[in-house]
Amino acid sequence: MHTREQSPRQRWMAVLARASAAELAPFESALRDCAYQLIRPAEIGMTLVRGRMGGTGAPFNLGEMSVTRCVVRLADGSTGYSYRAGRDKRQAELAALADAHLQGPQQSRWLAELIEPLAAAQARRAAQQAAETATTRVEFFTLLRGED
Amino acid sequence: MHRAPSDLLQAAFADPVLDAQKCFRAALKALSEPGTRQPLVSVAAIEPLQAAGYALCLSLLDNDTPLWLAPAFDTPAIRTNLAFHCGCPIVETRGEAMFALLDAAALDDLSGFYAGSERYPDQSCTLLIQLEHLDRGPALSWQGPGIDGSRLVGLPLAPAFWQQRAARNDFPRGLDALICADGEVLGLPRSTRIGDSLQEVA
Repeated sequence: MHTREQSPRQRWMAVLARASAAELAPFESALRDCAYQLIRPAEIGMTLVRGRMGGTGAPFNLGEMSVTRCVVRLADGSTGYSYRAGRDKRQAELAALADAHLQGPQQSRWLAELIEPLAAAQARRAAQQAAETATTRVEFFTLLRGED
Repeated sequence: MHRAPSDLLQAAFADPVLDAQKCFRAALKALSEPGTRQPLVSVAAIEPLQAAGYALCLSLLDNDTPLWLAPAFDTPAIRTNLAFHCGCPIVETRGEAMFALLDAAALDDLSGFYAGSERYPDQSCTLLIQLEHLDRGPALSWQGPGIDGSRLVGLPLAPAFWQQRAARNDFPRGLDALICADGEVLGLPRSTRIGDSLQEVA
């Protein structure tokens, strides 16, 4: 399915988009500890979610969901973007700040302190949910009915 | 030095919704009372596009409004910011544009802009014109809807502009213009007739 290679920036933006408010909150003071400008202050909008039946069928419209987006620029000129599900403007601003910091000279520090722990926690949650779901799995066997 | 497009981005309206609504209201009032000046919300200019012209762009343009840029305004900074904040397609062909952003040097030739059809005159191209001033030109007598009797307006525009406008003014078809300078906008809809004093300058 996902044949296209994910760039490092796509990866950290995805991690930031999935991070919960409680996970980003401890980094708020560190993220805001610089001069920055809001190019596009956090704003709430709607986006249409589309799906494909079975992942391969014809696309259909699933419904709309609320999305918050934000763009900031740090004093050093790096521009950070964020798109997050939901209506939390503060988190969108923090995620955009994190994206901007991650493009700057301190990239390895931010990756190690912010992104990797968040990615690990998200992988853990996904694995846990997959394990819980797996216990409810039912295997269907088709018996030969011997009609012929 | 080469700069990434994101380096050229700058903040737009402080309050995107209310400021855009205020500017839209000012543009409506300017067109409904041709020749009167309406104040626009202040916004950081993108040289050479002044604050008033940029505020009009921010409130009028979106992804449904193809824009044609005069050569003076066709800079990376203006393209980047309009694409980011308005999302408007920027077209190379005048005939495809629903809005045109013009400076004084581009007013000698208004050919190619769509003036609407008999059935859909509303689909004509709207000219957004940036000038140095809204006065200090020869006073012309304006008449028509929205003007009680006549109104003297002294725009610093060359006679060529009035001739170009008249050549495309075949009511209901025609070009509407929003003229801005110094944080103000002044409307010149197609329905406004320019009076006798035109012959003196033409």
